[in-house]
Amino acid sequence: MLKAYLNKTQHAAPLAIFRIVTGCMLFLSILRFWSNGWIYELYIKPKFFFSFYGLEFIKPLGNYTYLLFAICAVSAIFVAIGWYYRQASVLLFASFTYIELMDKSTYLNHYYFISLVLFIMMFLPAERYFSVDAHQKKEKQATFIPKWNTDMLKLMVFILYFYAGLAKLNSDWLFHALPLKIWLPARNQTPIIGGLFNYEITAYVFCWVGCLYDLSIGFFLWNKKTRWFAYLSVVVFHGLTAVLFPIGMFPYIMMATALLFFSANFHLKIINYLSKIFKIPENRFNTNKIFNYSPLQQKSLVALFTIFLALQLLIPFRYMLYKNELFWTEEGYRFSWRVMLMEKAGYAQFTVKDDTGKAEVVNNQEFLTLLQEKMMSTQPDFILQYAHLIRDTYTERGYKNPQVYGDVYVTLNGRLGQIFVDPKVDLAKQKDTFAPKSWILPLNDEIKGF
Amino acid sequence: MQKAQLNWIKGLCLGLLALVFFVGCGKDSQPTKEEDSNAIDRKALLANLADNIIVPAYADFKLKFDVMLAKSDAFAAQPNNANLLALRTAWQEAYITWQKVELFDFGPGQTFAIRSQFNIYPTSETVIQSNITSGTANLDLPANYAAQGFPALDYLINGVANSDAEIVTYYSTGADATKRVNYLKKVIAQMNTTFTSVYNAWEGDFAETFKSKTAIDAGSSTSTLINGFVLNYERYIRSGKIGIPAGVLTPGTTFPEKVEAFYKKDLSLTLAKTAQQASFDFYNGKAYNANTTGYSIKSYLTSLGAKDATSGKLLADIIAEQFEACARKLDALNNNLNSQVINNNQPMVDAFNEMQILVKLLKVDMTSAMSITISYTDNDGD
Repeated sequence: MLKAYLNKTQHAAPLAIFRIVTGCMLFLSILRFWSNGWIYELYIKPKFFFSFYGLEFIKPLGNYTYLLFAICAVSAIFVAIGWYYRQASVLLFASFTYIELMDKSTYLNHYYFISLVLFIMMFLPAERYFSVDAHQKKEKQATFIPKWNTDMLKLMVFILYFYAGLAKLNSDWLFHALPLKIWLPARNQTPIIGGLFNYEITAYVFCWVGCLYDLSIGFFLWNKKTRWFAYLSVVVFHGLTAVLFPIGMFPYIMMATALLFFSANFHLKIINYLSKIFKIPENRFNTNKIFNYSPLQQKSLVALFTIFLALQLLIPFRYMLYKNELFWTEEGYRFSWRVMLMEKAGYAQFTVKDDTGKAEVVNNQEFLTLLQEKMMSTQPDFILQYAHLIRDTYTERGYKNPQVYGDVYVTLNGRLGQIFVDPKVDLAKQKDTFAPKSWILPLNDEIKGF
Repeated sequence: MQKAQLNWIKGLCLGLLALVFFVGCGKDSQPTKEEDSNAIDRKALLANLADNIIVPAYADFKLKFDVMLAKSDAFAAQPNNANLLALRTAWQEAYITWQKVELFDFGPGQTFAIRSQFNIYPTSETVIQSNITSGTANLDLPANYAAQGFPALDYLINGVANSDAEIVTYYSTGADATKRVNYLKKVIAQMNTTFTSVYNAWEGDFAETFKSKTAIDAGSSTSTLINGFVLNYERYIRSGKIGIPAGVLTPGTTFPEKVEAFYKKDLSLTLAKTAQQASFDFYNGKAYNANTTGYSIKSYLTSLGAKDATSGKLLADIIAEQFEACARKLDALNNNLNSQVINNNQPMVDAFNEMQILVKLLKVDMTSAMSITISYTDNDGD
């Protein structure tokens, strides 16, 4: 049965359009990032970077960081037009992922999503149709590609939505309308619908509709009969989030990605349209050739994507390995499609002292940017990394075996703030591992659900 | 199954349409905001703060400042004992009133960096002396922030000599007397220029601009004013006036010489209390020139319904009570904070700890409940 499925083919147009759209979107994202001055602001100005655990060697490259972004932007264009696609897609995945791993203060779920999509794209024959590569080398052309190619991408979209929906099945979201109950009234000046946000019931409606939307949209997009309605709701839903929240390119990326679910005919129309604009002769790429992986390639890819999918399905559930409240400790929180679930704010101040009697309250501004400080003050792994930075810096400044104590105060989803880190624990001595962090004080409440 | 799905989608679309329709109608049926202190109404908030607090406060400060200006001119023209005492009184009045406007660290106050030029202390005697000698100091430079403003004046009229007679001599006889008078004039002129810019902006178009930016994104009035207000309380009231002299940030070492109005000695507590009360009044939306309160940060918090889940107590009230607790701790202090630190530092530390609780409530609980953004990049809420 698997073999039969793997041999199924489909038209190459949807994947070609997806390649173009993804490349263009990423190019625009990089451009926007650059022109907002964020490369300097986020990756050059800070003196310290919060690496991902085990990936400490991935760091910004000083002024060469601009070059890294340039490589990313250029390879995005190459991917879009399908020129040197093999090399460009690898370069795009590598540069984009490197950028996203340089400092976890800037972690966003949709960047993670893009990295995963780019990973898949490296192995797909997206350049065989309607591309410069196919234009230059006729023997490379193919009008039909394996069906699993686009299914793999669709599955990724499905997982993103479905898991985001699962994550909303919790008591804060469903029964207290949090954090939307906090966020919506703040946006009550939004044109037309803003007035609604003064009413609490609106937050509940948004929460329940949002949850049902996430859980079901994958099915509706996949089903031919419901596809147009589903796409309409994608546009409305993401349009609304774009108006309400500062989430940048994400809504547009999702709107564009969801096009993937439409039929080959739909995409062929787009291709005809583009052909007219760029004066490409019709049927230039229609050779009716079928693209096939070699048996060895096929086998390797099946193995690779089986592991990939298994990881995708399991990673979001790793939080179950930790006893503590997920939203509070965030152990196993990232890489799990948990989006817009928390209004969390914190205040973190550290005292460093040593055996000789030296002591000082650390000025966070000396080490961290505003964004970094904000991220650090609510997330335990950041707190520990920062405490270690303090330990090492003050050792250099002549402290003998410095001890670092935190005064950290955090509020989660409108609960009155409480002490987050055991103030008696010397953070300098705590090891950074994946093990549960015993020095986080428990939340005085319980959030039920996923 | 498919049919059911289809119906569901149809239902969703209809629901959304209904929602949009409902909004269209809902607009008219909304309570009129004027008298309703329960409404989530940033427009009313900004109007009350601007019209009844900020603009009148700057106007009052201008009166006090102009008196100081006149007295300093008189002293500069004729340095004698009577003119010194008159200048000193005017300086003290202006400095106290400054505490009621320093918290407006947003809009023009922020644009013209008025605090940096008005109240950076401890002031640097060394820089002041070298500026006097050179006569060419550029007071716009950050390097000169600690050589101007009220703290520099404090030194110039209270600290350059031990007795009033000697201070008068300092400005009236000797080779450098003219240079000294010139620097005094220069400091006041700089303050006048900066304050006039801020004052004119608020008197001009800015108040309307301020009131019209009712959104809550970074750069909106509510966001910048809350950020400025909290920052002022944390860094310039809690740390500057109490924490730093008490050595809280440097356990084991105190800095009694870092109190505000160090040379005047007995004014530091008055300044701290005035600033504390001004912050509380601002929070309560109390009119500057009357005993009435209008729509305030407190009203806004109340309208958002933020409360402690366990006790059911409103966050707005918890914060108000904490302001009062801080004021009580300040009441327990000596008029001269310098001697308070030297002789009995513990009450200073106690006051700081009380203020620390308030800072957490303001900076974490309040901003979170208001959904105030302090970041400038995208986030997806996690």
